[in-house]
Amino acid sequence: MTIIELNGLTKYYGKNRGIEDVTFSVEEGEIFGFIGPNGAGKSTAIRTLLNLIYPTKGSAMIMGRDVVKDSQKIRKFTGYLPSEVHYYEDMKVKELFAYSGGFYKKDCARNASYLAERLELDTSRKIEDLSFGNRKKVGIVQAMLHDPRVLILDEPTSGLDPLMQNVFFDLIREARDKGATIFFSSHYLSEVQKLCDRVAIIKEGRLIKVENMEDIRTNQFKNVSLLFHDASKANVNIDGMLQKERIPHGIRFLYSGSSRALLDQLKTVPFDDILIEEPSLEEVFIHYYEKGGVES
Amino acid sequence: MIYKREVKQAQKALWIWIIALGGMSFLIMSVYPQFAANKEQLDDMMKLYPEAMLKAFNMDSLGFDTPLGFYAIEGYLFVTLFGSIYAAMMAGSMIVKEESEKTVEFLLSKPVSRGRIVAEKALAVFTNLLLFNIVLSLINYAGFRYAGDEAIDMKIFFMISLAPFLLHLTFAAIAFAISAIMRKSRAVTSISLAIVLLSYFFDIVQSIAEKFEPLKYVTPFEYVDSAYIIEHTAIKPLYVSLMAGIVVICVLVAYAVYKRKDLSV
Repeated sequence: MTIIELNGLTKYYGKNRGIEDVTFSVEEGEIFGFIGPNGAGKSTAIRTLLNLIYPTKGSAMIMGRDVVKDSQKIRKFTGYLPSEVHYYEDMKVKELFAYSGGFYKKDCARNASYLAERLELDTSRKIEDLSFGNRKKVGIVQAMLHDPRVLILDEPTSGLDPLMQNVFFDLIREARDKGATIFFSSHYLSEVQKLCDRVAIIKEGRLIKVENMEDIRTNQFKNVSLLFHDASKANVNIDGMLQKERIPHGIRFLYSGSSRALLDQLKTVPFDDILIEEPSLEEVFIHYYEKGGVES
Repeated sequence: MIYKREVKQAQKALWIWIIALGGMSFLIMSVYPQFAANKEQLDDMMKLYPEAMLKAFNMDSLGFDTPLGFYAIEGYLFVTLFGSIYAAMMAGSMIVKEESEKTVEFLLSKPVSRGRIVAEKALAVFTNLLLFNIVLSLINYAGFRYAGDEAIDMKIFFMISLAPFLLHLTFAAIAFAISAIMRKSRAVTSISLAIVLLSYFFDIVQSIAEKFEPLKYVTPFEYVDSAYIIEHTAIKPLYVSLMAGIVVICVLVAYAVYKRKDLSV
């Protein structure tokens, strides 16, 4: 069953582009990632799904309901975590949870305290005294306290320390095991890699492609720098080498393929030093961008 | 949910305003006995005032010689002008604060329609102003009792208490509509305050200078003119309908605008 469906979704803010003609769908039980650099239009797409903003063209459905017409119904079974977490400063955390839970026709108190406990969040504190990371936790709890069927999370992990990120990932997996479908945005590829089944990549408002994580895993990206004392040896050719550039005392390139194959090939290269790094999303994007998403 | 929260959240500011305005009004009434005791001197002094000033503050048609007249000249100003400022500020922040404080993404991710948000907030404004006016009127009544043993015409007292409430509702509705249209709290507060003060200015101008008389239709302060109310024991029906019309139109505008607004932060 298709849970989230975007059909040629387009949003312009006056003349400024938000997103253009974005089409893809998320299936039931999936953890679906949505990645792109800042300003690519991730939040615009997500806010349109929540009907915070109205689409200029195109449409979107959540569980078969139109996001504009049936917005209120959709929000009954949807949980949303905004990228910027701002709550009523005068409230205590537990008051906010009670306020939040009060909008649903069921008792959410127990679930809220369970989630808060898992995230080690002190619910007796005032919102205004909370750090950014703790506010993020408040956001996660208020998005999940009514056991939503659909979870839409806009950059959920920013601000959480690595330990809490893992707790959060566990909560996401638990929700999925209970039957929820999760759609979340990020600008960290590694985070998406850890969690997602599929991922949509967006840049400058346009969908570049939707990939299976399996494919991305076999098609790993690495940033490789090779340094040579003798610059004349720097003529290297490796299968899967992209965007080769010269740097002082060596070369640098983006590698796409399996890491093992990379190591096998590097054995024969007479380098003096080597640096293999996780590429930034930007670099991977440039790769996708050059290919233009033609290849599937 | 929203209604309850908004009423609760408004209480602190509401009571501060009540104490300030009620206190002023009570203080003013407490000096009335001295005024009344020196009536002749007062009349002599009044003759020295320029006519424009007497007109501006309704001192030509109302006398200082009854508690009601005294209140209508001195205390009424506080309740109408400052009460309107309070009403405009409270109603003006009502909708826009969710955007300014970026809490709208939280609120609108809950299963509540935008129409309902506007309705509950409008109702909260109404409740706050009702409470505000009831308590102020009670304080005023206590002030009258304190000022003298003279019997108070309860009909006039009711009218002179109802009129500020209608005035506050009018300014609140205008500010409420602006609150739905704009995106920044500060801008809404400035514009709403400007509207109140400008209206007051127009009211003074039109009561002094006859050639500006048509201005009286654009200033709600004229709608609740204390001299007319005390003389006729009524608010002009035309003005009551004007105020009701403004309130209804403004709430509808707020609803229509908010329904289609892009609420990104």
